[in-house]
Amino acid sequence: MGPYDSSVSAGSSSSSGSSSSCSGKPADTIDGLLAGAGYRVRSSELRQVAQRLARLETVMVNAPTEVSHLANDAVHYNPSDLASWVDSLLSELHQPEIAPDPSTFSDLNYIAHTQAGHVLVNPMVSHRELSAGTEIEEDSGIRLVHVLMTCAESVHRGELSLAASLIEELQGLLTSVDGERGIGKVAGYFIDALSRRVFAPQGASLADSAFENAVLYHHFYEACPYLKFAHFTANQAILEAFSGHDCVHVIDFNLMHGLQWPALIQALALRPGGPPLLRLTGIGPPSPDGHDSLREIGLRLAELARSVNVRFAFRGVAASRLDDVKPWMLQVNPKEVVAVNSIMQLHKLLGSDPSRGSPIDPVLGWIRNLNPKIVMVVEQEANHNQPEFLDRFTEALHYYSTMFDSLEAYSAQLEKSLAEIYIQREICNVVCCEGLARVERHEPLVKWRDRLGGAGFTSLHLGSNAFKQASMLLALFSAEGYCVEENEGCLTLGWHSRPLIAASAWQAMPNIHSHE
Amino acid sequence: MVVPLNTWILISNFKLAYNMLRRPDGTFNRHLAEFLDRKVPANANPVDGVFSFDVVIDRGTSLLSRIYRPASADGGVPSIADLEKPVGSDIVPVIIFFHGGSFAHSSANSAIYDTLCRRLVGNCNAVVVSVNYRRAPEDRYPCAYIDGWAALKWVNSRPWLQSPKDSKVHIYLAGDSSGGNIAHNVALRAVESGIEVLGNVLLNPMFGGETRTESEKRLDGKYFVTLQDRDWYWRAFLPEGEDRDHPACNPFGPKGISLEGVKFPRSLVAVAGLDLVQDWQLAYAEGLKRAGLEVNLLYLEKATIGFYLLPNNDHFYTVMDEISNFVSSNLCSVLLLGFLVLPFLSAASGNLSKGAFETASDWEMCEMIAAGVFYALHCQISVKGGAILR
Repeated sequence: MGPYDSSVSAGSSSSSGSSSSCSGKPADTIDGLLAGAGYRVRSSELRQVAQRLARLETVMVNAPTEVSHLANDAVHYNPSDLASWVDSLLSELHQPEIAPDPSTFSDLNYIAHTQAGHVLVNPMVSHRELSAGTEIEEDSGIRLVHVLMTCAESVHRGELSLAASLIEELQGLLTSVDGERGIGKVAGYFIDALSRRVFAPQGASLADSAFENAVLYHHFYEACPYLKFAHFTANQAILEAFSGHDCVHVIDFNLMHGLQWPALIQALALRPGGPPLLRLTGIGPPSPDGHDSLREIGLRLAELARSVNVRFAFRGVAASRLDDVKPWMLQVNPKEVVAVNSIMQLHKLLGSDPSRGSPIDPVLGWIRNLNPKIVMVVEQEANHNQPEFLDRFTEALHYYSTMFDSLEAYSAQLEKSLAEIYIQREICNVVCCEGLARVERHEPLVKWRDRLGGAGFTSLHLGSNAFKQASMLLALFSAEGYCVEENEGCLTLGWHSRPLIAASAWQAMPNIHSHE
Repeated sequence: MVVPLNTWILISNFKLAYNMLRRPDGTFNRHLAEFLDRKVPANANPVDGVFSFDVVIDRGTSLLSRIYRPASADGGVPSIADLEKPVGSDIVPVIIFFHGGSFAHSSANSAIYDTLCRRLVGNCNAVVVSVNYRRAPEDRYPCAYIDGWAALKWVNSRPWLQSPKDSKVHIYLAGDSSGGNIAHNVALRAVESGIEVLGNVLLNPMFGGETRTESEKRLDGKYFVTLQDRDWYWRAFLPEGEDRDHPACNPFGPKGISLEGVKFPRSLVAVAGLDLVQDWQLAYAEGLKRAGLEVNLLYLEKATIGFYLLPNNDHFYTVMDEISNFVSSNLCSVLLLGFLVLPFLSAASGNLSKGAFETASDWEMCEMIAAGVFYALHCQISVKGGAILR
């Protein structure tokens, strides 16, 4: 059973007598009060949803075994869409349809209370616990944050000499807090980033050698579960999308060490009916010193595939930027089913320059033209692409504070430090860079939904099975405090109730002008 | 009067989902529960004059709380340093809120409770601290109480929560369903400690006992709730082997203690007339009164469980007004209120024993003769205390 396709909206099926909207009438409003409770139900559908709930209840009361089936075996999707959730449960049941008693509802008199649905789209920020130390420590922490924000503000206003003197003051303040943990540690990185911006704007971006990058990435992968979550959530969805297909092709937008793929290869090896022919196209930066690192990784993965009897073919595409990739390089074959896998890559395309415009649109365009069965998108759940520097700075301070806080539980000191440097590079890019050099342009799920929807993609919902798997794996391998949440068909992983990364799955909307 | 359709949908949805989560063997499908629960993140950008942020109260137990504060007059976004800025006015009530869910469901960041806490801030001009306590059956009694107590100590020791007038934190405990039960027990603990709790607000508090009361028999399965599910939650929360006369469940029962002479805070207790455990809730209020304690009992004849979750019914507004009065130090109106409620209550109880609800469907509710009583009560509230409440 694949992910539930949201374009099939059960809620739109009309039931006799209800006044659902039809063409020509103004768009339906969502019931504002239920929206405040996290549920999206159209005002015109309230009655239908109520009837279906009543029907579901009747069945559950009459057949208790059905209840355990619904709980244990059925996969649930997108509980916010109450109408389709109830319908999916009804369709799971083995009972014949029980017609509702018309007299039950005839005297129904309700107060439809609609108010302008107020949706929170503001940047999410959460509070970090200031280091629990002595009172002096606490005061220093507060002062540190105050001065840090003032400094960011002066940078924002272009008052660089004021900023420079504040940076000196900050470095002094840093000595009176614990720089190893809590606010001291995070502030340290942000002060460093601000000073690069103020004192060395040209060389602001940290030089990134591919080798260094790879080492840091590896330690970030080990020290906290964000990348692991991205990989296993993506693999689960891709596996489901590939179900029943014999020729499959995964396009990975950032191969790195190929850490994501052994698990998928093994899962495909074990699938009922046998593995498909798997092609993997890995995109990555060109290797500097002549040796072909993409090919090396491809060879290792081929080795693994052979050992589990999965027919496998690998192709590396070297490109320093994703928008340098042309679709013909991917050599997609019309008979195969395509999965596009983008882990923290799409945001890099959001920068624009006067000559080229924003690369995201053409890239989304050619992705769509590949007609992929699934596009897996994992992105940082943050609003780091706001036009105003101060807003970005504030948001980043909250976001990375939370991320550092989550790392604190990891014990291996050296690995933790390397993971922190990986994160520090992101911070520097967000804080120090501008224009095309600023690639860490993270945007939250809400914005990606709009963007992908507008580019001709429709959401594939990640369900309770993926949620459960993610939660269980986290419980096994990570410190307590991480939490997986369901967000209208997408899954987020966060620390202490603040989502930090979001995983979503998409497919191309049917193309009315398809060229087959 | 009828239940608004969206309320019916909301509560029915919970009822059905919760049915799937409770397993007959007493275990709980936590993964599915977390998947289905609609959560919202904290938001330091003020929305309708309220902003929120999360704090870790106890790292060892991962005890989080969500703090809700009124935004500053200019509505600007508070910076990180401003989140714990000292509270402004002379006296600022701090309401420690324990969400409901029968000890097993929901979280501080559940959408319904985030919304409710935001309303409390606006309504009472208070700071609200919503505690994400540990839940049953994974963490039975007394974990939730321990977490509540930790939160109380934490709140009491925050300099920034002290009211400038007397440099003390003005603490109220509040909760609905299991949260109400937790509020009572934390207040009990506070008595021995010397931390002053100025008042308890209990909305449909979760209490019970071994005997089956009249309301339980009459309303079993009628308005979203069954005795069977109540029993399941008590078995999940209470220590193994204990029955429902355990004092956590039945504070004034055979194993309960008298609060006579105990410096227990004054209480505002809201009871919904269509809640099957109302007899236990009324008995609780009685128990407080017998001990000579101040109790403001709000009996809402036609309210079902969850009436305070959506602002689409009169009971909602009545209760919000009451809570607002309760946490402002308007002692006069509170006493008068207590005096007003009792005669109406005894008049109404005569009507309850009629089989008025025997054939009622979940949606249709009969006209209650006592409706006039309720309305009159509401008007009285508006006039007493000198302030116009609505």
